[in-house]
Amino acid sequence: MSTQIRLRNCAKTFADGTRALAPFDLTIEGGETIVLLGPSGCGKTTILRMIAGLEFPDAGGVISFDGDDVTRQSIEKRRVGMVFQSYALFPNMTVAENVAYGLKVHGVPSAERDARVDAMLEMMHIDMLADRRIDQLSGGQRQRVALARAIAVQPRVLLLDEPLTALDAKLRVRLRTEINALLRKLGITAVYVTHDQEEAMALGDRIVVMQKGEIAQIGTPREIYRKPQNPFVADFVGAANRMTGQMRDGRLHIGAHVFDAVDAFDPRHGAIIDQGAVELYFRADGLSPCDLDEAHFTGRVEAVSYLGERLRLTVSGIGPQAVTIDTHADDVIEAGADVHCRVNADRLTVFPAVAVHS
Amino acid sequence: MSSVEHIKEGRSRPSFPWAFPSSLFGRATPGAGSPAILALLMLPGLIIVAAFFIIPMALVAMRVADGPDGLATYFVILTNDRYLASLIQTLVMSGGVTVTALVLCGICGLFLVRNRFAGRNVITALLTLPLSFPGTVVGFMVIMLAGRQGVIGSITDALWGEKIVFAYEITGLFVGYLYFSIPRVILAVMASAEKLDPQLEEAARSLGAPTWRVVKDVILPGLMPGLVSSGAICFATAMGAFGTAFTLATDIDVLPMVIYTEFTRNANIAVAAALSIALGAMTWAVLAAVRVFVGNGATSGTGGGA
Amino acid sequence: MRRDWKFYSQLGLTIVLCLFIVVPVVMSALAGVTVNVFKGLSSGLTLRWVFEVWDLYAQSILLSLGIAMACLVVTLVAGVPLAYVLVRRPSRMMRLFEELLTLPVAIPGLALALALLITYGGVSGYRSSWLFILTGHVLFTLPFMVRSVAAVMAAMDMKMLEEGAASLGAGFWRRFFGVIVPNAKPGILAGALMVVTLSIGEFNLTWMLHTPLTKTLPVGLADAYASMRLEIGSAYTLIFFVLIMPLLIAMQALADRGKHASRRIDTAEDTL
Repeated sequence: MSTQIRLRNCAKTFADGTRALAPFDLTIEGGETIVLLGPSGCGKTTILRMIAGLEFPDAGGVISFDGDDVTRQSIEKRRVGMVFQSYALFPNMTVAENVAYGLKVHGVPSAERDARVDAMLEMMHIDMLADRRIDQLSGGQRQRVALARAIAVQPRVLLLDEPLTALDAKLRVRLRTEINALLRKLGITAVYVTHDQEEAMALGDRIVVMQKGEIAQIGTPREIYRKPQNPFVADFVGAANRMTGQMRDGRLHIGAHVFDAVDAFDPRHGAIIDQGAVELYFRADGLSPCDLDEAHFTGRVEAVSYLGERLRLTVSGIGPQAVTIDTHADDVIEAGADVHCRVNADRLTVFPAVAVHS
Repeated sequence: MSSVEHIKEGRSRPSFPWAFPSSLFGRATPGAGSPAILALLMLPGLIIVAAFFIIPMALVAMRVADGPDGLATYFVILTNDRYLASLIQTLVMSGGVTVTALVLCGICGLFLVRNRFAGRNVITALLTLPLSFPGTVVGFMVIMLAGRQGVIGSITDALWGEKIVFAYEITGLFVGYLYFSIPRVILAVMASAEKLDPQLEEAARSLGAPTWRVVKDVILPGLMPGLVSSGAICFATAMGAFGTAFTLATDIDVLPMVIYTEFTRNANIAVAAALSIALGAMTWAVLAAVRVFVGNGATSGTGGGA
Repeated sequence: MRRDWKFYSQLGLTIVLCLFIVVPVVMSALAGVTVNVFKGLSSGLTLRWVFEVWDLYAQSILLSLGIAMACLVVTLVAGVPLAYVLVRRPSRMMRLFEELLTLPVAIPGLALALALLITYGGVSGYRSSWLFILTGHVLFTLPFMVRSVAAVMAAMDMKMLEEGAASLGAGFWRRFFGVIVPNAKPGILAGALMVVTLSIGEFNLTWMLHTPLTKTLPVGLADAYASMRLEIGSAYTLIFFVLIMPLLIAMQALADRGKHASRRIDTAEDTL
């Protein structure tokens, strides 16, 4: 079940001419959980469906499972396990019959089939639901049945298309943890599609961030979070604060202050740049309130939110727009007051200033 | 006015004489008319249904008992050989047409919904053309197809030298019934097919199911409510069809024709009435049974006799 | 989409069915305007038969149209308020009444006609007038009007509209004619088209109820098929088609417009 999947030079253009995916290469190692992350319409579901065999790449694209070329193979033959956003459980069958379906189709003898179904149901903690009809189940229960059904046939890869989107927040977090544990335990290759950044970071061994049919960055959650390689990824994973600055001879100048050991990365040329106007992306921990003598900048607090664990300040006067700064929950800061901040240079992501967001 | 006050309070406890109409109309809600207004609104419809349907049907029921055999006439459809034979013929004909129409329209309806190609809308419109044809026009269409000057005859004549004419035989009647059944059934099948969830089929395919399995395990069960209800409508329409058989004047004595001859030629009103009630009860029962199993709205496609 | 043998065989079956339906229609239309139907089109086209049909059957055709219009008026007056009451104040009694209302559709026209004849056959003035036929038509078409209007009324939030109008001071009748009815227009229009189409094409009931003086178009058709030349029957059928076609097209256009409207609303929510 830990199949290596390789996509080479795959692109997708639909019949009406829309370009869903630009040509790309992707290798998914056996046993790895890879997350396709991006806003709706970015092409992540298209990639999933190509791996499944529900869509075919444009001419020249090759998809292989453990070295076998499956590009022209239809989904019935590929032995993938698919979990849909709306679960797609068969309403005319019970839970047990749903889970047994793939085994039945493959001709597994009934004794072995029953044993496998029982094992699946137990593993997913739904053995008491075996004879229930689908419309009697809750959302979380349905999701578990869908997983059991997909895994029962021992697929080469597990494909999950936003499986948790239809559930409420608490259930989502709980099921996410269960799915994570399940994937680790089974050691199965998994491709998971989501638009939720937190989900991606929690589940993925690697994350593929996508934008408008193109891959923006591939990396581990830590890499994506700490070192976004272009403004889109930076913005998507939470670095929504912005400041402007200048690179001069390899040193970052923000106003009158100079910072060494900060690199500006040009995603277009994939190189570090030494000169030119730059934009700084950072999260709420990029700036910290401090005393006047340590401070780099002074801004005015527009709003204060008490979040329990921390205090979130909206501060104007530092960047082109208001920035979000987090500080200790016990700090006493009020709206309307001035606040002095220092820059935490290691938390900055620096890109060349482009005319418009990519 | 007392009834208005009660409406304002939102309670349905009005005083006599408004009690009766109010209980008829359910709980009072602000904004809707008073029971008096509602009764007025319903009046024309009530009069029409009462005077021209309920009372006449009741009279028909009573007329049956006026016949020479009295109450036994109610069961004449079962006791008399000729009528029983006619009933069986009609049942077999209607059943056969229903099954044929379901199979043909099942395939074509699904095909039309699933595939886009040039001319698809035209084909769909053409297939539903006969929905508004009276039964007599349908009979004429059969004559056009399979009568002495029919197109089928000309084709077989050109190909094999023999002109096949079957408009005035049972085959012709069958074809005629099929002619007005296909539009009804195909509309229902297409409506049903549009509601199928494609993800269910993708799920089945992802589990390895070949096409025939997907049809058997996912598509047919999904279409079943639509097939059952349109099948019932098709059956009921065929049972009550008169114009087609009348125009083709075949030897086949379908029940509506028997009723007609008993009434007009033999002036055997009691028997005609009994047979009518039997026929009406049967068609109503089939439609009601479907409504119970499939739910309302399923039988709303009945339209136009044949 | 892969076009394999399965696609083409299904397409073939569909085309065969289509031809089955359409060929006789085209044939009869052509026969109605051909000089000599036995010689075929080569003998030339003519409107002679159509004019002959008009001479023979003008009265039937006009009567059919008249009855259809009258039927429309009656079903509007009876059906629209009925739909309102059924939707606004549902109850068990209402459901029973709706069941009774729809029965004439489930019961064969023959039985309905029999019932009317037995009950009112003796009232000679009524029995021999076109009103008798109208009665049958109304019985049969009323449920369609009610259903069509009720469907639209059920989809719109009538309670909210009425309460809004009432809060602005409008009395019941003003609300009914000024707010409810205009908003139910799509249903009324669809129902109207349905009623007119059904009435023009009604045969089973009408054949039993008619007299030589009150012949409708379909009754005339049956006559023509039985006793007249093929050309006359065909030309008469052609006239029927010409009458029906615009109604069918209008109904289809109305249905499509309704489908597109609802689809737009659905997709607006599916932004994720």
